[in-house]
Amino acid sequence: MIRTIWIFIIISIILSLNFILLKLAPEFPPVTEEQKGIYYARQVADGYMTLRVVEDPDEVDEIQYKVANNLTLGECPKCYYRPDDPTNPQKYWVYEPVALSTQYFRWVGNVVTEWNWGLSTRVAVNTPVFDVLIGRNADGTFSGSSRIRTTMTLNLIALAFYIPIGFTLGIIAALNKNSWIDNAISFFVMVFISVPSFVVMTMLVMIFGFQLGWFPNQWPANDLGGAIQYTALVIPVLGLSFGAIAGLTRTTRAELTEVLTSEFVLLARTKGLTRRQAVIRHAMRNSMVPLVPGIIFSFVGLLSGSVIIERIYSIPGMGRIYLRAMTQGQYDYNLVLAITAFYTIIGLFAVLLVDLSYGIVDPRIRMGARR
Amino acid sequence: MDKNNTDRNLRPEDFEFVQAEKKLYDKKFETKPIGYFRDAMIRFGKNKTNVVATTILFAIIIGTILIPIFSNKNYELQESDLAFLPPRIPLIEQLGFLDGTSDKEGLPVDPSTIDPETGLGIPLGYYPEAIEMDTLENYEEECVDRNVLCKNGFNVLSVDAAATSVTIQSANFLQLDKNQNAFIRIVVEEFENADGAELNVWIKPEFAGDYELIGTIDEAGTFDFDPFELFPDLLFPIVSQIRLELTASSPQERVHLTSIEAYDDTQTDPIFKDSGFVLSQYQIIDGAGLYVRAKGEITMANFTYNDYTAKLGPTERLLPRSEYDAIIAENPQCVASPHPDTDNYPDGWVFPEGCPIMEVYSQTEPVIVGDVAYFSYDLVLNYQLYKGYEEMPYYYFGTDFNGRDLFTLLWVATRTSLLLGLVVAGINVSIGIVYGAVSGYYGGTVDLILQRITEVIGRIPWLVTLAIFVSFFGPGIQTLIFVLIVSGWIGPQSVTRTQFYRYKGREYVLASRTLGAKDGRLIFRHILPNGIGTIITASILTIPYTIFAESTISYLGFGVGHGQEFNIFGITFSGVSVGVLLSDGRNYLLNRPYLTIFPAILISILMITFNMFGNALRDAFNPSLRGSE
Repeated sequence: MIRTIWIFIIISIILSLNFILLKLAPEFPPVTEEQKGIYYARQVADGYMTLRVVEDPDEVDEIQYKVANNLTLGECPKCYYRPDDPTNPQKYWVYEPVALSTQYFRWVGNVVTEWNWGLSTRVAVNTPVFDVLIGRNADGTFSGSSRIRTTMTLNLIALAFYIPIGFTLGIIAALNKNSWIDNAISFFVMVFISVPSFVVMTMLVMIFGFQLGWFPNQWPANDLGGAIQYTALVIPVLGLSFGAIAGLTRTTRAELTEVLTSEFVLLARTKGLTRRQAVIRHAMRNSMVPLVPGIIFSFVGLLSGSVIIERIYSIPGMGRIYLRAMTQGQYDYNLVLAITAFYTIIGLFAVLLVDLSYGIVDPRIRMGARR
Repeated sequence: MDKNNTDRNLRPEDFEFVQAEKKLYDKKFETKPIGYFRDAMIRFGKNKTNVVATTILFAIIIGTILIPIFSNKNYELQESDLAFLPPRIPLIEQLGFLDGTSDKEGLPVDPSTIDPETGLGIPLGYYPEAIEMDTLENYEEECVDRNVLCKNGFNVLSVDAAATSVTIQSANFLQLDKNQNAFIRIVVEEFENADGAELNVWIKPEFAGDYELIGTIDEAGTFDFDPFELFPDLLFPIVSQIRLELTASSPQERVHLTSIEAYDDTQTDPIFKDSGFVLSQYQIIDGAGLYVRAKGEITMANFTYNDYTAKLGPTERLLPRSEYDAIIAENPQCVASPHPDTDNYPDGWVFPEGCPIMEVYSQTEPVIVGDVAYFSYDLVLNYQLYKGYEEMPYYYFGTDFNGRDLFTLLWVATRTSLLLGLVVAGINVSIGIVYGAVSGYYGGTVDLILQRITEVIGRIPWLVTLAIFVSFFGPGIQTLIFVLIVSGWIGPQSVTRTQFYRYKGREYVLASRTLGAKDGRLIFRHILPNGIGTIITASILTIPYTIFAESTISYLGFGVGHGQEFNIFGITFSGVSVGVLLSDGRNYLLNRPYLTIFPAILISILMITFNMFGNALRDAFNPSLRGSE
């Protein structure tokens, strides 16, 4: 229980830290005046800024002078001054940010009560960022290109692909310890643990996408139906899986070899079980204890690793839009915040899941049990 | 033989005392004593695979130091005229690959280059000298581009779904003379799905007048129109563009236009003929529709091309006078003699072999500014000598898009990656040791709090760290190092903490403490030296991890990049790392795979050997950890 609360505390610390630091960084609001109007109006409505109307001619002149000479940048870099008439202003709407602490609590309130993560500033200007991620149009319909879904689908397929292979290879290696099979598998593991995933992915695209041409060399457009939708999955799933397979094989092998030498396995053999029965019924279950958390963590690693895969293969997923939101000089903080929140929350829920899974896999470990 | 039945009749005299008189002393060891490090080295040497891996790793490290120093090729300047030379390696080139040639496929042939003897042509922009002529082949292909090389065929006109008519207009003017009995001929190949669709032909009989309808076509065939029959009052010749208007109810109704011609009595050939490509250049001026090219023919060429000959062979150039003078001053063997081809180049001169300038055709008109006359020479350079290569150079891994030698560049990049890995791992280990020491030594509440902090920081996804640092510092080396440090020190600190828990309760620590040693002395003089072996061996494994992360971040474009140069502790880094090279190569995966393959292979070998080396080192120093990776 304490553990669960602690994990929620970590999530909120990371997200708060992220919010506060990004708010302190230089801002990149939308570019055109029209878009700015909508954006700042929404900032005021969400409570991050205050709106003040300036009609006093002296003050108007002063603001006009400052805006024309870029003096506002030094004074109040995040303020926005909107004139009623750009050439001969009589009136200014001045948008000023409120104190950071107030902004922070407003933001927490907006997210918790309304699931309002703010508007995108550069990638999809003035669209609520969560709508960008799930592919919801302005009229509430879904465009069918949910970025979260694309990324999750890809990663879940990779998960379903690598777990059986990793297990099998690990078990084979452990049962044939020090034979040539074990050596071959260990060599494979060494190679794929060491080689960065973007190298593996680039080579896969080059060989199977370009040179042999068996699979598409990049992600097909969404509306392109037919077999290409499925063949396009092959390269990214392989690119995601190789490292994960290697990791899983290595842990499975290490755990299983350790368990296989324990006395209870010997006991199982002496009481007459075959080697197969002893391995499957006794050794496997015990070697699972550290493996389940390993798999859960590797899924998190897979998810953040898919940023690179998505970039190489032009997959319109979370990672790709994260990189777009991080284009130099075009930072889209609200979007970055929402995406990083997605990764943070998934990562920490995985930790929670790991803690809970210990109790299920190994009944000796109980959450919150006293010594 | 039964052992139990042997003769056991032994008498007491058969026995004697071993040491009745002698004293027994401890014997000296006949073998030499083995220290901890020596023992570790023996264990290390036993695993032959690891020894091989370590040798390769050190060969790479030495290579990164030596190769950039001894390389005579450019790896810093941008020389775009030497860009994209394919790999060429001595000896291996004799086997027929990595020989500096590349296979060019499917390039459109320039008709003016077609050799009357062989009937083969080459594409525009390729030097015939560099083409291996026995590999050259031409073939015809269907084309649908609006390309001047795409000949014959027809053009298909159709309306948009929402529109009912579309009009195209010729680019050229027709000139029809009444006295020569001129007429217009339009050839329609096919009228697809025509169901009431019509093609109207319009011309402007009077130059200042309006367009008039001169005929309508509703089926395939050849149609002649005589505008003078329709407008008998015309006195002057007609000078007009021609317009074709298609009226149709659906986009399925398409007309295939083959040619638009005009004839008169002066010659049997048409006086005006638009077909194929020229016909496809007609612009849609009214209505909405589609006008596309179909069934054209284009001649394509396949051949093997020697890029080295092409790029480093004789090259015609305009060279400014100052540069020309400098070359002549540097090369005393350059003695000019008059040009043998006096007909074409009466003012030209030639140089003997071995001079970077081969022949000079002429010089440009001088521009006089003040007292100085500025002019250039139109000349032919021996490009290889001009670039300073006595013989045709070998670019082992080819050149990149900036004309830099990929082989040398790759070693420079690996050096950057390695140094960055070392520096960042050093910082991480230092932070980790101090943090872990404090946490492990003091234990209790301090440990609890410090470990909670570690947990929070360790749980921050690297994407979050990256976002924060990029938004403050922008992409670059600063961001890169910070991102690597934020997540990197956690590992070393946990190893250190474990070591401190292991040793802090030992008797010698207690003894030292009772003698009055302070915490600092206990930590750094007593506990740390005992655990440092484990900490260091574990830390070596963070170097490949750091290189891994560095190359990934650089690959994504947030780390180092071209043109950057930076200085850490007096070591200058170039802005190129292996991740940057791979990122460059990504755009040329199809045609220039070598730009990706070589960096990929090198970083893979580096990572694999580094990991094996680290594992071997750990196994050697801590045999108890063997196997648990």
